[in-house]
Amino acid sequence: MVKSFIPQSLEEALKIRAEEHAIPLAGGSDLMVQHRKGTGVVPEFSSPIMIITGLNELKGIRTEDDGTVVIGALTTSAEIAESEMVPFFVRKAASLMGAISLRNSATIGGNIGNASPKGDLPQPLILLDASVVLKSISGERTILLDDFIKGSKKTELRDDEIITEIRIPKAEWTYGYYRKIGTRKANAISKLSLSALILAEDGVIKDFRVSSGAAGPKVARSRANEEKLIGKSISEIEGLKADILDTHDTVISPHAMPEWRRNTTRRMLDHFLSEVASGAPAGIIE
Amino acid sequence: MSMIEFRLNGKPVAFDGNPLKRLLDVLRDDFGITGTKEGCGEGECGACSVLKDGKLVTSCIIPVGAVGGCEIVTIEGLRETEQGKCLVESFAEGGAVQCGFCIPGMVMAAEAILLKNPHPSEADVRLAISGNICRCTGYDLIVESILLASRKGEGLW
Repeated sequence: MVKSFIPQSLEEALKIRAEEHAIPLAGGSDLMVQHRKGTGVVPEFSSPIMIITGLNELKGIRTEDDGTVVIGALTTSAEIAESEMVPFFVRKAASLMGAISLRNSATIGGNIGNASPKGDLPQPLILLDASVVLKSISGERTILLDDFIKGSKKTELRDDEIITEIRIPKAEWTYGYYRKIGTRKANAISKLSLSALILAEDGVIKDFRVSSGAAGPKVARSRANEEKLIGKSISEIEGLKADILDTHDTVISPHAMPEWRRNTTRRMLDHFLSEVASGAPAGIIE
Repeated sequence: MSMIEFRLNGKPVAFDGNPLKRLLDVLRDDFGITGTKEGCGEGECGACSVLKDGKLVTSCIIPVGAVGGCEIVTIEGLRETEQGKCLVESFAEGGAVQCGFCIPGMVMAAEAILLKNPHPSEADVRLAISGNICRCTGYDLIVESILLASRKGEGLW
């Protein structure tokens, strides 16, 4: 039986993390399933575990003066989906995670730490250039989520660190798009997802971003591809679209059902760009 | 390891054992209350749904060590409450139950939605039970029964 701990404060948790390298269990919705042994049998873990579900210091959502939204790592998907402070893309993704009971357990820190390519929250968070705050007894560091997640189930988390916060800088956008494709409406694991945004001023594109989830080992974004539209006018989208779709296709790397994933990703991004190009009203593109 | 203390159906309880044991198993094996069922064991089917601090959760994915200080309500906890009696009556009257395996979880999901919204629409109810799988009824009679409970139980939630 592995050692298990229930720290009562973040300070205690950091100490246990440093000394025992215990793995933090946040909501349990991934870890308890991955390690389950069956009815009446305690899940079997290979490393010490610390149950941090109850640490109130890591819960809650706040907005800072510059518009940065800060979400505590143990904030649940249900709380994120209900918060008006949270940007549309992240809220929408949180609202479509699993079913109600899962959203009441699953946390943003857990979804990031688990680093599944199918995780719902990293995709819109990476679109928004979010960062994670990592704490240890020796200090704190903040790194871009896109750099933190290295690949499928791989992160930059050191064995003495805990994810404490997720920071989302303020992003302005005129047109926004979020789409998750699962096998059914509720209770579905993402088969594919895509977020995109365009900020336009007087018909000129000031910002364009697109990120793809479940289409490779990690969330796919290409700044170089996005820059092709920045500074261009809305009327130029049609002419540039084919190249942007082709390039985005090289950014994703689906290994299962690649043809379907490539085709569907292309159709989603094409739909978003075509709607904007054809004069859709500002707001969320359905 | 210290005792894990929490409230179970309104009464203080303590669990002295492995904190990684699933809440579902602790309820059934250690406290002997077997109304909460295990379906998938992966948090997907809703058969093991209970309320944790008033919120619907699946007890198969929660280690008991995560409920220290929390209020847990199971189907047994609704037996004597007016809300619980109203739900049971409505489920019976509405013909919501066939094999019955999913029903404790369905009743907990119904209690959770009615606590949040005493007058849900049909769409609200369908969304509220979207994480609870039933392989017998086709859901319609369960949805109707929850709507019936919200009418009959006016003022209860």
